[in-house]
Parts: sequence; C-alpha cells; structure tokens
Amino acid sequence: MSKILVVDDEEHIRLLYSEELKEVGYEVITAESGYKLLEKIEEEKPDLVVLDIKMVDYNGLDILQDIRNQFYDLPVILSTAYDTFKEDMKSIAADFYVVKSFDLTELKKKIAMALETRLPD
Amino acid sequence: MAFYEENPGQIAEADIVVGIPTANEAGTIAATAARIDKGLSEYFPRMRCAIINCDNHSSDGTREAFFSVPASAHKLYISTESEVGGKGRNIRNLFEKARGLNPKAVVIIEADIKNVSPVWVRNLVTPVLKGAGFVCPLYERHKYETFLSNSIIYPLFRCLYGRRVRQCNTGDYGFSSKMLDLYLNSTHRSELVENSGIDIWMANVALAARQPIVQALMGAPKLHRARGRFADLPDLFAEAVRTIFDLMEVYQDYWLQVKWSKPTALSGTDLQEVETPLPPADVNPERLYEKFIDDFDKYSRLWEHVYGPITARKLQEIRSIGFQHFSFPTQTWMTILFDTAVAYRGMSPSEKKDLVDGLLPLYVGKVLSYVKKTWRMSLQQAEEYIENECMMFEENKPYLIKMWTKEERG
Repeated sequence: MSKILVVDDEEHIRLLYSEELKEVGYEVITAESGYKLLEKIEEEKPDLVVLDIKMVDYNGLDILQDIRNQFYDLPVILSTAYDTFKEDMKSIAADFYVVKSFDLTELKKKIAMALETRLPD
Repeated sequence: MAFYEENPGQIAEADIVVGIPTANEAGTIAATAARIDKGLSEYFPRMRCAIINCDNHSSDGTREAFFSVPASAHKLYISTESEVGGKGRNIRNLFEKARGLNPKAVVIIEADIKNVSPVWVRNLVTPVLKGAGFVCPLYERHKYETFLSNSIIYPLFRCLYGRRVRQCNTGDYGFSSKMLDLYLNSTHRSELVENSGIDIWMANVALAARQPIVQALMGAPKLHRARGRFADLPDLFAEAVRTIFDLMEVYQDYWLQVKWSKPTALSGTDLQEVETPLPPADVNPERLYEKFIDDFDKYSRLWEHVYGPITARKLQEIRSIGFQHFSFPTQTWMTILFDTAVAYRGMSPSEKKDLVDGLLPLYVGKVLSYVKKTWRMSLQQAEEYIENECMMFEENKPYLIKMWTKEERG
C-alpha cells in the first residue's frame, strides 16, 4: 500500500484528502505545516507528498526545493487554490500540480501517474 | 586523440575545470574568459581552477586573445590539428585533458556569448560539488527562440528518458568526474557527434546514465554574437535529430522501460532576474509557410512510403488548409516523429540522411503551427502548451514501443 503525506495548513483539506485517499486504498499521513517536514519525510518514508503551496508560515515552493534537494526522486504534487504560482520557476521541480477542489478526481489521477512513473536503475 | 597543448603553469591537477570551445572566436573569447575567471575567483576562491580553451586551430588569433586575459585561474590551450574542425572534437579533447587534471567538476561555456555572468559559473559548478552528475542551464527564453527544443528535443527526451530537462541543447553544461568518465568511455562516436551534435549527445548520455540532473536557473537570456542561425538550420537540425535517433538504438534497453517522467532538482533559485531584454523574435510565419509548401511535392512520395497512407492523407489535409487557418496537429507530428525514429533504425547512412532531410519541412510546418497557436500567448501560456504536448508524447509512448519492438521482431 502506497503511503501519502498530505501537507496543508487547512484542517478540512487534510481531512478531505485523508478520507478520500484512504477510501481508494492509500495509507495517508498528514502534516499541518512545513515545520520539521524533512525530518518527518525521513522518518515516515512516504511514497508521495501532496504539498500545499500557500501555508500561513511556509512557502510550499521553498519546501519543494528542500524536498527535491534531499529526496531527489520523491514525487511531489503541488496543491493550490490559484494557478499564479506557475509564474515562479521553482514550481517546475514538482511532478504535477492540482487546483484544490472538493472533487478529487484530478488529484487521484495525478497520484496514480506519479506512483506509476518508472525510471530504471 | 592527439591534440596540441600549451600549459604555461604546468598544472597537473585542478578541482574545477572550465572549458571554452572555440573556432575563430578571437573577438569574444577574452571577455568570456575574463567573466569565467571572475566567477571562479569570487565563488570558489579556495579551489584550484583551470580554464581551458579547446580550439579548432583558429587562425584569427583566438589563442593569443585567450592568453592575453589576466586571470587568477590557470589557463591552458589545447587544439585539434590544423584542418581538423568540429566542436565535438574540441570537447573530446577537453574530456581527455580534464581527466588528466582529476577535477571534481567540469563546466563548458560557449565562447560567443555576449553576456556571460560570473554567477553562471557558480550555478553550473555548485550542484556538481553537491552531488549532481549533470547540470543543464535554464536561460530566460523568448517563446520563439527554441523551436528545435520545443518541438523535438524536449518532448522526445522527456518521453524516452523520463526526465524533464527543458533546455538540453544550450551548449553550456556542468558535470561531475563520474560523468566525465562516462563520456570518455562511451563507445558511440559519429561524425555528427564530432561536430555540433556533441551538445545533444552530452545531454542524452547524461539522461541515460541515470545520474542526478539539476537544472540551473541563470536569471537572464543567453545572448549570442549575431550569426546566421536560419542558414545553419538544416545542419543543426540534422545533427541534433540524427544524434537522438542514433542514441535511441544505443539506449533502447533503458528507454523501453521508462514510463511517464519526473522533474529535476533546481539550483540558482536565489538568483534575482537580471534586467536583460530578450532578443527580438526572429520568426516570419509567411516564410515558414512558403518553406513548408515549397518542399511538399519534393518529399510527399518519401512521406507516403515511410509514414503510410493515413499520415500521408493527413499531411495533404494540412497542406490544403491554407496559411490563415494553418494547423499541424500534435498527434500527427508525434506519430511522424515516432515513425521516423523507427524507420531510421534500419536504414543505410544515405537513406537516414534523406529521411531526416524529409523531416525538416514537416518540422517547419509544426513550428508554424506552434507560432500561430501561441501568437497571443504569454511565455508562461506557451510553456503550458508545450507541457500539454509533452504529456501527449508520454501518453502515446506505448505506440512507439509497439512499433519499435515489432520492427525488432520482424
């Protein structure tokens, strides 16, 4: 079972994502901020991270750089309310992005694609 | 490979080696070397650095101009023998000389850039010192500046090798000592790679080597000394495209297993964008249309033979649309590229040349279609358009695999 880490400062989003993703068979863990996130990733070893871009105390794009530098191939899906973030070149270090919605069809599709991605050793 | 060498400082080791390939670049090399030296002394003051001018036996005083630059780094000059040209030969000489210096990082920067910034050296070197195998720059680009990359190199590389590297054929790179060994040990050599096919070859070998790749934000466009780029198009096109197709055969065991694609890490994200105006877009849609139409009859028989009747019919439809509503569907373009790669494999050298010559007018048609579709788009919107095209390539990779392996079985 693939383990997904959802990072979002809004509780209702963490709950929604958790419930829906668990329903389709994923193990879900959550974090409410970028605080000690790299340690959490090291400890929990998720297969994929869903990362909110705009959190109160953290910039998701900066966190994305840290994740990419330390966990080069860990899939990261950016989750955002606005798509203006794409103007920032840092966003290209993400595997995918999704616009936040109560319909998680797109997120589930992108998660499946990211987990299916295969580069031989 | 034998090369002429001048090593006035008699250095035998260097931590960082920066190579500047040249062929008659007396007018530009001094400024480029001076800025590279500034970058090395500013960002790597405690490292042993060498700048190597790898030359094609220039007759215009390139060597003298290079040695005239006062520099903190050691300067070395190496050259091919008289009458022996080709950028790839220069780079190969650089590989061999650099290997002897046992470097931690090697960087290549083209000589004819008007605006090299010292920070570019930092951005290409630092990721290598932190563990990257290959660093590819990300320059600010006009949406109509990199057609070959937009239409062929980026979508194909991404779909084949599974790594999203946006500007693979810039000619400026950073790489590790391990990557240097891989380049030196590569058995694939061709006349194309001895010339300007070397740029795409270096990126391709790195992609297939499964080394960590970093894209370095450069914060500015890369401004070349003016040259007749359109006149060079057939040669540049053939060298890049044929090198990709040649290496598809070499690395088939790798790319046949790749599914979807992944991003790379980035460096230089701290960089403030420099206010350098982008060069004007050198694109003339009417001229592109004329080129597409003019070459149509010349190659239509070849196209029908290689791509089959369905694609041939589709191409006739595209031709009949007319300039105002011209469109070259991505699906058609992708099928053509995949079919060309498959057909190319079993051909003789002269047939390969004819096949790629025949692809050029179709590429011109695809470029025109892109220009028309993105005319009113911002750079970001045009990038998203290209991203969507790349997804189509990835989604349809099973078709390429099916055709490639069918050809192999047949």
